[in-house]
Amino acid sequence: MSILEVKGVRKVYTTRFGGNKVEALRDVSFSVEAGEYVAIMGESGSGKTTLLNILAALDKPSGGTVILDGRDLSKIRESAISAFRRDNLGFVFQEFNLLDTFTLEDNIYLPLVLSGTGHREMKERLAPIAAKLGISELLKKYPYEVSCGQKQRAAVARAMITSPKLILADEPTGALDSKSTDELLSMFSEVNALGQTILMVTHSVKAASSANRVLFIKDGEVFHQIYRGDDTNDGLYQKISDTLTLLATGGKTA
Amino acid sequence: MKVGFYPKLAVDSIMKNKKMFTPFILTCVGMVMMFYIIMYIGLCSVPDSMMGAESVRSMLQLGSVVIAVFACIFLFYTNSFLMRRRKKEFGLYNILGMGKWSIARILFWETITVAAVSILAGLLFGISFSKLAELGFINIMNGEITYDLNISWVAVARTLEVFGVIFLLLLLNSIRQVRFSSAVQLLRGESTGEKPPRANWLFGILGAVVLVGAYYIAVTIKDPITALLWFFVAVLMVIAGTYLLMISGSVMFCRLLQKNKGYYYKPNHFVSVSSMAFRMKRNGAGLASICILATMVLVMISSTTCLYFGEENAVNQRYPRDINIDFRFGGIDGLSDDIAEAVRRDIDGMVADAGASAGNVISYRTAAVSGYMTDDGNVELDVRKIDDRDVDVMANVFQFLFVPLSDFNETVGDDISLGDDEALICVYRHDFDGDVLSFNGGRSFHVKKYDEKKFEHGEGYIISPCMVVVVPDLEYAVEGIADMTDSLGEGMLQYRMKYDFDTELDVDEEIALCDTINEILYSTPLDASYMEAKYGAYASIASREENRQDFYGMFGTLFYIGIILSIVFTLAAVLIIYYKQLSEGYEDQARFGIMQKVGMTKRDIKKSINSQLLTVFFLPLLFAAMHLAFAFPIIHKLLLLFGLDKVTLFAATTGVSLLVFAVFYTIVYKLTAGAYYKIVSGTKEEF
Repeated sequence: MSILEVKGVRKVYTTRFGGNKVEALRDVSFSVEAGEYVAIMGESGSGKTTLLNILAALDKPSGGTVILDGRDLSKIRESAISAFRRDNLGFVFQEFNLLDTFTLEDNIYLPLVLSGTGHREMKERLAPIAAKLGISELLKKYPYEVSCGQKQRAAVARAMITSPKLILADEPTGALDSKSTDELLSMFSEVNALGQTILMVTHSVKAASSANRVLFIKDGEVFHQIYRGDDTNDGLYQKISDTLTLLATGGKTA
Repeated sequence: MKVGFYPKLAVDSIMKNKKMFTPFILTCVGMVMMFYIIMYIGLCSVPDSMMGAESVRSMLQLGSVVIAVFACIFLFYTNSFLMRRRKKEFGLYNILGMGKWSIARILFWETITVAAVSILAGLLFGISFSKLAELGFINIMNGEITYDLNISWVAVARTLEVFGVIFLLLLLNSIRQVRFSSAVQLLRGESTGEKPPRANWLFGILGAVVLVGAYYIAVTIKDPITALLWFFVAVLMVIAGTYLLMISGSVMFCRLLQKNKGYYYKPNHFVSVSSMAFRMKRNGAGLASICILATMVLVMISSTTCLYFGEENAVNQRYPRDINIDFRFGGIDGLSDDIAEAVRRDIDGMVADAGASAGNVISYRTAAVSGYMTDDGNVELDVRKIDDRDVDVMANVFQFLFVPLSDFNETVGDDISLGDDEALICVYRHDFDGDVLSFNGGRSFHVKKYDEKKFEHGEGYIISPCMVVVVPDLEYAVEGIADMTDSLGEGMLQYRMKYDFDTELDVDEEIALCDTINEILYSTPLDASYMEAKYGAYASIASREENRQDFYGMFGTLFYIGIILSIVFTLAAVLIIYYKQLSEGYEDQARFGIMQKVGMTKRDIKKSINSQLLTVFFLPLLFAAMHLAFAFPIIHKLLLLFGLDKVTLFAATTGVSLLVFAVFYTIVYKLTAGAYYKIVSGTKEEF
């Protein structure tokens, strides 16, 4: 069953004085099945971020519909949107977005506290996640006391703790060194193997090659997609590279 | 490079940082204005004819020194906010290839611009408001009003000097900051020092202890002289205690809240408690400063208002009748009935000559001595034998007035008789429940209490406790004491007679009568006054009207300085709040952005901001109110030194001051909270 359905999404930005119209997304349609691990690739300016903002209900599309777990995002009232986001979506950002005023533990609790969960339950939920992500020892530390990789793991824990329908990751490896990148990607794969649906936006071939399916966006449209099939990460890596080369040289692929 | 390059760049960057510069310039303008006004009034508005003109001038001068020192400290403080936000800009200039020397030149021109604008505007406002301020001053002093506008060039010059120096120091400090940091450090300037706080138990507890100590001093001291000595100690302790407690105590408090999981992990506490814990350490100093300023304003305004509105009371205490004459005699012989009769007749004659009559008379003879009394009624008259290690020794030093029964009966209109070793006592400002009163080296008496309100002794001092001891035979009663001498070899007993009375004359006639009597008393011969020659008495005469002007002068000036300084300090407190909120707003922008992404609603944000601001705002006010409450007894004692004994009036002025300040503070809170919310919610909801 599809957990996310994107149909004919269009987004047009109008400049302040109504003069120029810029079409960031022309006609994007795709769907994500429950338990999938999907990467969306595209160059800067291809509309990736706009798409992610729409999927996260941070922005409204000019046309088309986004259906998350059977609910049309545009039909949710403005006052309920934050709570909806909190309960159904988990976010992982490029720059972690941890609050420096909180310990890692409190950072992870933040969405749960906002939805009024009791402390005992929060603790019970955190323990297995922290163990899996290998940050059990770091929970009492403040963000500035830990490495970038550890920060990103805490951010992943924060995204997972609400058991969201979908985790949205925006360039999650962008600020990490290669070792931390490897760790994070294998963590994503493990989490995905346990049934967590993940949608990741990236322009790193390496990050994308850990996904099960890769969508390519160009000029506001889904241009192409690759399934992993039986490929290894390396095999997928090669396919993605080839596709990117084609995209860059302007060739056409079916 | 063109000549005007740096000045232009400086003006440009001031315009670009309007939000930061405007309040700073306004502060400078305010400070310059206040300084000029108080200088001007001290130099020009105190008429030479006024009684105590010199002391009023020097009080005003002291006020101007206070403003200058405060302006210096405060402008440094606000300038540091400015610099923190601007370091990034300078870092960028530095990286783009501008040398430190060039940045210093920009800073120089900036300072010149700010200084010129604010000193000019400050002087302009100062000169235009100086007349208004002068009118207020003269009105307070009950003086005569003139309507010509003056400019005091001396005050202008002094203002230029003082603020020129302050701005020079500011410039040097800014240059120092730029000079000693690298471009990268400058770029990061604003986000440095983001370390999580650790609760410092030692300092927190120390702060609490110091504060409690200060409170203890303020509450337990009974006597005004001791209060004066300890007041400044208590003030310093309160300041130190407040800073310690606010800086580390508040972090400790937040940590405790965080430990309480049930409380902490609630949507409306979670964010506010943690960010408070985080910034308390840095901003504890700011909060403490606001608190201290608020306390100073409240103490100043409540006590000076009380003095001003209570001056009538103080005058009446000090001078119970229109005309008050005191006689002092060399020995007990002077207190004989014959002499007393003759003296009264003499004075009555002088009054009659002026076409008036003495009415409502207070007149009695007394032998006065002061001594230290223990609770069991033992009195030690020799100060050398008193153990002065006791802090509150002064609280038990009594003024004893031995009064002959005949005079007493006449004054109160009673008909009491006493045995030889019996005495009637009236106790003022102290309690005494014993049956026996015994003077070391003198006699002992079986005492009966008498309602002290019925006997108006008219003694001006109302600082120390006082006991009127009514005895049947004065000479017999003071036997033994009469022979004692103090360390200078002079007799301890003072033989006095009072003759205070009202007349129906108007003010001018009354002062004239007073002068006439004074003239007679001291006319002939020069080396021995009239009374001395005639009765062996020294006489001093005081007219209430004449002295009233003196009181108005002193209390009025204090009241005026109180108002001016209160305005300055309030202005400062408001600005500290504004800058604090502004800089916190910029810091929090990113934080609230993140929280929105993670699913915090705008309403949650508003709620958490409210809870945070409420605490941050009203903590200093709460502390100030607490300080004020504990300071109340000690300030009341100090007011006694000014001859003011009106607890209810002081309670009223304190209450009203607190109320007015709280209302004003709340308005500032509303405004600032609005500005803060605008900054914080200005974040875009995007990846």
